[in-house]
Amino acid sequence: MSNFQRGRVWPLIAVAAAAALGLAGCSSGGGTAAAGDGTGNIVIWAHQGQDSENAAIQAAVAGFNSSQSKVKATLKILSSDTYTTTITNTPTDKLPDVLEMDGPTVAADVYNQKLAPLKGLVADSTIANATGGSIAEGTSHGKLYALAMYDSALGIYGNKKLLDAAGVKYPTSIATAWTADEFTAALKTLAAASPTGKALDINEQYGLGGEWGTYAFAPLVWSAGGNLIEGNKASGVLDSTKSIDAISTFASWKPYIDPNADGNAFPSGRVALGWGGHWLYPAYSKALGADLLDLPLPNMGTGTKTGAGSWTWGIGAGTKHGKAAGAFLDYLLNDANIKAMTDANGAAPATKTAFAADKTYQAGGGLALFGEQLQHACPSTAITADCVAVYRPVTPGYPTITAKFGAALSAIYGGADTKEQLGNAAKAIDQNYSDNGDFK
Amino acid sequence: MKTRKTLAAVRGYAILTVLAALMFAPIYYLIIGSFKPSAEVLNGFGGFLPVDLSFNNYAKVFASLSSDSTGYFLQYVLNSLTISGVIVIVGLVINSMAGYAFARLEWMGRDKVFLIVVILVIVPFESAAIPLLFMLQGERDTLLVQIIPFLANAFSVYLFYTSFLSSNASVEEAARIDGLGAFGTFVRVVAPNSKPVFATVAILTFLSSWGQFLWPSLTTSDPAVRPLPLEMGAFSGLQPVDWGAVFAFGTMLVLPILILFLAFQRFFVQSVASSAVKE
Amino acid sequence: MSTSLPAREGATAAGPSSPRPRRRNWRNRDRLPAILMSLPAIVGLLVFVAAPFVVAIILSFFNVHIGQVRPPQFLGATYYIRLFTDPIYSGPFLRSLLNNFTFAIVVIPVQTGLALALAVLLNSKLRGMPVFRTFFFMPVVFPMALVAVIWRLIFERSDSGLLNAGVHFITAGVAPAQDWLGSSATAMGSIILLSIWQGVGFQMIIILAALQEIPPDRYEAAQLDRANAWQRFRNVTVPGIRNTLIFVILLTTIYAFRVYDQVYILIKTASANQDAVQTVLYQATSAVFDQNNFSLASAITVVFFVIIVAITLIQRALLRQRNEG
Repeated sequence: MSNFQRGRVWPLIAVAAAAALGLAGCSSGGGTAAAGDGTGNIVIWAHQGQDSENAAIQAAVAGFNSSQSKVKATLKILSSDTYTTTITNTPTDKLPDVLEMDGPTVAADVYNQKLAPLKGLVADSTIANATGGSIAEGTSHGKLYALAMYDSALGIYGNKKLLDAAGVKYPTSIATAWTADEFTAALKTLAAASPTGKALDINEQYGLGGEWGTYAFAPLVWSAGGNLIEGNKASGVLDSTKSIDAISTFASWKPYIDPNADGNAFPSGRVALGWGGHWLYPAYSKALGADLLDLPLPNMGTGTKTGAGSWTWGIGAGTKHGKAAGAFLDYLLNDANIKAMTDANGAAPATKTAFAADKTYQAGGGLALFGEQLQHACPSTAITADCVAVYRPVTPGYPTITAKFGAALSAIYGGADTKEQLGNAAKAIDQNYSDNGDFK
Repeated sequence: MKTRKTLAAVRGYAILTVLAALMFAPIYYLIIGSFKPSAEVLNGFGGFLPVDLSFNNYAKVFASLSSDSTGYFLQYVLNSLTISGVIVIVGLVINSMAGYAFARLEWMGRDKVFLIVVILVIVPFESAAIPLLFMLQGERDTLLVQIIPFLANAFSVYLFYTSFLSSNASVEEAARIDGLGAFGTFVRVVAPNSKPVFATVAILTFLSSWGQFLWPSLTTSDPAVRPLPLEMGAFSGLQPVDWGAVFAFGTMLVLPILILFLAFQRFFVQSVASSAVKE
Repeated sequence: MSTSLPAREGATAAGPSSPRPRRRNWRNRDRLPAILMSLPAIVGLLVFVAAPFVVAIILSFFNVHIGQVRPPQFLGATYYIRLFTDPIYSGPFLRSLLNNFTFAIVVIPVQTGLALALAVLLNSKLRGMPVFRTFFFMPVVFPMALVAVIWRLIFERSDSGLLNAGVHFITAGVAPAQDWLGSSATAMGSIILLSIWQGVGFQMIIILAALQEIPPDRYEAAQLDRANAWQRFRNVTVPGIRNTLIFVILLTTIYAFRVYDQVYILIKTASANQDAVQTVLYQATSAVFDQNNFSLASAITVVFFVIIVAITLIQRALLRQRNEG
């Protein structure tokens, strides 16, 4: 009796499991990009930004649709908190024709064959007008897969009034960036002069364990002469003495750092220095006016380095309308659209012509120093002495690199041992590379 | 004697009032905050004060979700209602039938199969989510993918089972003797007499599907099919966070259920209680 | 419903007197309808709850992910070995497991006890009890995603957070503002607090209903025996609702192990102390979210599944034993 019953149940489970696996099996396999004849309907994915950014991208799509009649573009604005996960977990044949991506994830998308090479689909003139940073960020294995509308800029904002009142001298150029010791001394003096006992805001509320951690503080590692990864190996690089010293020094600044829960530590004058990106400029310049300074990050040994890179645009490998998608990118990356977008979010334009026309980032502008940093850009595989803006590693292993580095940074900032944390992060990254055959 | 009783009553009321105030404080904080500028929300005890009240936050929520590319607020509501509605209705049908088959009908293998159901009661859906995401990757961005995994529910089957087990068997037997089949008896006799358990399962299913978070965030990205709760995440994810708008969104997310609950609470509470106590 | 129960029991007792042969007859005819009626639910459960477990086992042995373009590599038990022996994986994994247990060990007794206390308070003869009941039950209708957002502001670490303002007020400004979610000492406690706030009303309602089923004459008899309030609670109330309490404890156990939404949201948006609050399900989903690593996520899922089934079976056996003994 009981044997008979068992006989009835288990085959059912087996059939269900087989059916489920079959379901999984049939949906794999990527599409292949077809150039098409330059007409048709295309779908565009963009991440949800501030309302003004959303409006700018909506206007660009509407402008494209009314400027010609061969291609009809439909825009989908997707939630930013799960945007990258969405692209990762969407099979290629379900990806849109045109998609926005976070710069450092381009290589992983290329590795998983989610992107089509842009050459031949977008106009040569569009590629020629892209900034060096835009090209560096969108190039994987020697081919260009993505182009950016804008680039990010990072540095230290200074409150001139508070710095002067405390008698702290500050750098006026990239070459004269604070050394680590000078910066620590400046923090000490500023903290002593401040009623809250704090001197620096590092926008801790973004979370050091997330992308902010890698973006904003990996430059300290680079500046010390260390790196996140070199030749598919993180051990001996990420946990080198140089890297450990840089991160330990960073952690030693914690007593001077305002937790900034309300996002107001710097503009309200609670602290004299704010470690932040270009996107804070509009609010800060409104709050501080002429007292707002843009300063380089501290020089940890081999010259100041800073972060760069932002959202960038590519063409889905499954598209049937590659030419039409390319025509849209040509339109999106024209000066008018880029100006509208960078006016909305304060970022640095990522085309040569639009960058030259943006007064904020040119000499005499409010973010002239940030602009100068971006003009000395390099990939993290070829950091030179005079390079300042370093792009995060272009590698399919980047998601693991940033997850592990961020988690280690966050733990170290919380009091954990630097050497052990960076060592574990390096080992985990190496394991990920070897598990995936070095992503070859 | 009388003063002792009064004293006890006063003490009882005092304790209950303090507890009720503590339980209600976060809800009041949410609702009052939804009418205030962000700076007034995150402001210590000032967060409780009704100052600078306006509908601006609500207008902001509607304004930023008002195009084809971002989706419309009402469309998200409709998506959520459709998903929850189908899960509740189809779930009631299939889980109650199964509960009845386990409780009242005799068939080979019944007890073995039921044991499997009991074990599945304890498996958190979340632990199945990752392999399911892999299995259903081809169904991304549909309403269907947000519905089918939740139709059959071991806990619902179990609740129906216990309820039917303790229901009046003689009426059923009379119906059977009158020639009604198993299915007919269930539809005409058993189901109409088991409203509380149907109400309980409906309520519990609705609450859990309305608040679904993990699964839709894994499987959907298209505004045309995304449910309401995820969009709140989209609001609170942007820096700096506009707490007033987030609270306005949150209020609109929960208010319909809260109103339904307040209107039907006697029924709501009694049916949940009466069918759970059977256990 | 409850008042009519005795009458129904009488009716049931009369049931078996109906003619036996005919009954056997229609019982045999039930096989087909029974299978048809249970089939949709059983197939659903097998495909969407049981089969994923089988799939998870398979996925955990291969290097696979969504949109796979290369043939999957066979990894064998690599990830299982790492989860228990390689500190890089076992550290966070065992910590998550510990966090799950901490959560369950605190929440199960505290939430059940609190629910019982509230139910006893509400079970008095005083007027206005339904009003209080409403207040205690209200949080139950709140989706966890929203609860996490509200409480994130209550736990805000600056002086402008509600809890910090409260502590400041009570201690007359002596205690400094605490980073409730960020500090490893208080982070799990904060998650527990908001989870209990959301869940306690549900348990309370179930217990309250059971309390109201206890015949009043038992209390009267106890009173005649000069039993004090505690003795009445111990000897009348608790035995009267024993089965309900067991049900509530089992239910709370299930909920305690599936804690996820609040953990995810508070880590991602409120810088909650990841080490202190991450749970096993958080580990599994972030392996997919952050690293697209289905093998690791599946291995975690499988281990977790086995642990949960084991715990529940043990708990069931223990409770049943005590109940019978």
